[in-house]
Amino acid sequence: MKRLADVAIIVVSSVALAAQAQVLGSPPQGRSIVKTDAVKYLSPEQVSLPAGKPSPVALHFRVAQGLHINSHTPSDEYLIPTDFSIPDGAGVRLDAAQYPAGTMITLPADPKTKLSVYTGDFVIQARLAATPGNHLVQAKLRYQACDQSQCLPPKTITVPIDVVGK
Amino acid sequence: MTPFPLRRNTLVYGATLLLLAVFAWAGWANWEYRQQLAERQRAGMAQGELVPAAAGGTPQYVSPLTGKAAPAFALQDLGGNKVTLAGYRGKAVLINFWATWCGPCKIETPWLVELRQKYAAQGFEILGVDTEADDAKPGSDAFNKDKAEVSKFVTQEKMPYPVLLDGDSISRAYGGLDDLPASFFIDRSGKVIAATVGLTSESDIEDYIRKALGE
Repeated sequence: MKRLADVAIIVVSSVALAAQAQVLGSPPQGRSIVKTDAVKYLSPEQVSLPAGKPSPVALHFRVAQGLHINSHTPSDEYLIPTDFSIPDGAGVRLDAAQYPAGTMITLPADPKTKLSVYTGDFVIQARLAATPGNHLVQAKLRYQACDQSQCLPPKTITVPIDVVGK
Repeated sequence: MTPFPLRRNTLVYGATLLLLAVFAWAGWANWEYRQQLAERQRAGMAQGELVPAAAGGTPQYVSPLTGKAAPAFALQDLGGNKVTLAGYRGKAVLINFWATWCGPCKIETPWLVELRQKYAAQGFEILGVDTEADDAKPGSDAFNKDKAEVSKFVTQEKMPYPVLLDGDSISRAYGGLDDLPASFFIDRSGKVIAATVGLTSESDIEDYIRKALGE
C-alpha cells in the first residue's frame, strides 16, 4: 500500500513538474497587436440646460498616448481638422464651439514643418441650445490621428451626451 | 501498523497527490491557453498586422505577402486611363499607398521622386496608390472631389510617376492595413520582396529598391 502510494506520488509529481516546465520554459508565442482608439470622449455624460438658451458646456476628450490629432486649424490645407458637430433633429443645437489652440510639433524626419495638433487631454468649449425635455444626443467628433511615422485614416466617433432642457 | 498512523499517512498521501494534481492541471490549462492564443495570432497575421517589437523598439510590419506574387489590380490614373500591375511585369515596382492627409507620406514623397529618377533607367517604377479612406466610388461627386485634390497635390509635389485612384478598393488584398504610408517592393517576376508601413528612411527605401532590381 505504501509502495503504491509512493509510486503514485512519483508519477503525479513528474507530470506536475513537466506541466510547470511548459509554463516556465517557453516564452510567450506572440506579442500584443497594436490596434488603437485614438480619441476617447471623457465627459460630461449628462448636462442640464435652461431650455431655449445657449449655454456653455465643456467637452473633455483624451488622445491616446503616443498619438496626436490635427487641431481645428491645422497648418496645411490637406490635413483634416478636428471638428465637433451635432446632427440635425437631435433637439439640441450647437450654437458655437471654441476649440483649444493646437500645440506646435515637428516630426523627427521633417524638423522644418510645424504641425498644429492636440495631444493628451483637450477641451472643446461648446455652447448648446436645447428644447425642453430629455435628449440623448449622438454628437460627432471627426479627427485624424498619427504618431511620429504613420497615420491612421480619418475617423468620426460618437459623443453621447444626455442633454436635459429644463 | 496501528490504525491511527495508517489513517494519518493516508491523509498525507492524499493531500500530496491532490496538490500535485492541481499543479498538473494548472500547467495543462496554461499550455492550452497559449496554444489558442498562438492560433488566434496566426489567423490575425494572415491580414498583416503591426506587431510591437521588443521594449523600446519600432513596430515591425509583418506582411503575409512577402515572398508571394503581388495581388493583381487595375485602377484608374489621374488621366482616367486604366493601369494594371501586370503591365509592369519585368520591371521592379514600388507600390506606395498614400493619402493627401498623411503627413509622413508627404515627407517621403521627395525621396521617392529622387529614387525613381535614379533607378528608372534600370527598370524601376513607382505606382502611387491614393487611399483617401472615404469610400468614394469612381464616378461619384466625392470621388471627383478627391481626384481634384490629388491632382493638385501631385502637381505641387512634382510627382513624376503614375498616381492611381481608389486605392481603398485594393487595400484589403494588400494586407488590410489602414496605416499609411505603406509600401510594397515587387521584383521583376512580380514577387513581393519586402513591405513597410510608416515612414522609414530614404536609405532603407533605396536598399529595398536595389533588392527588387536584383542587385
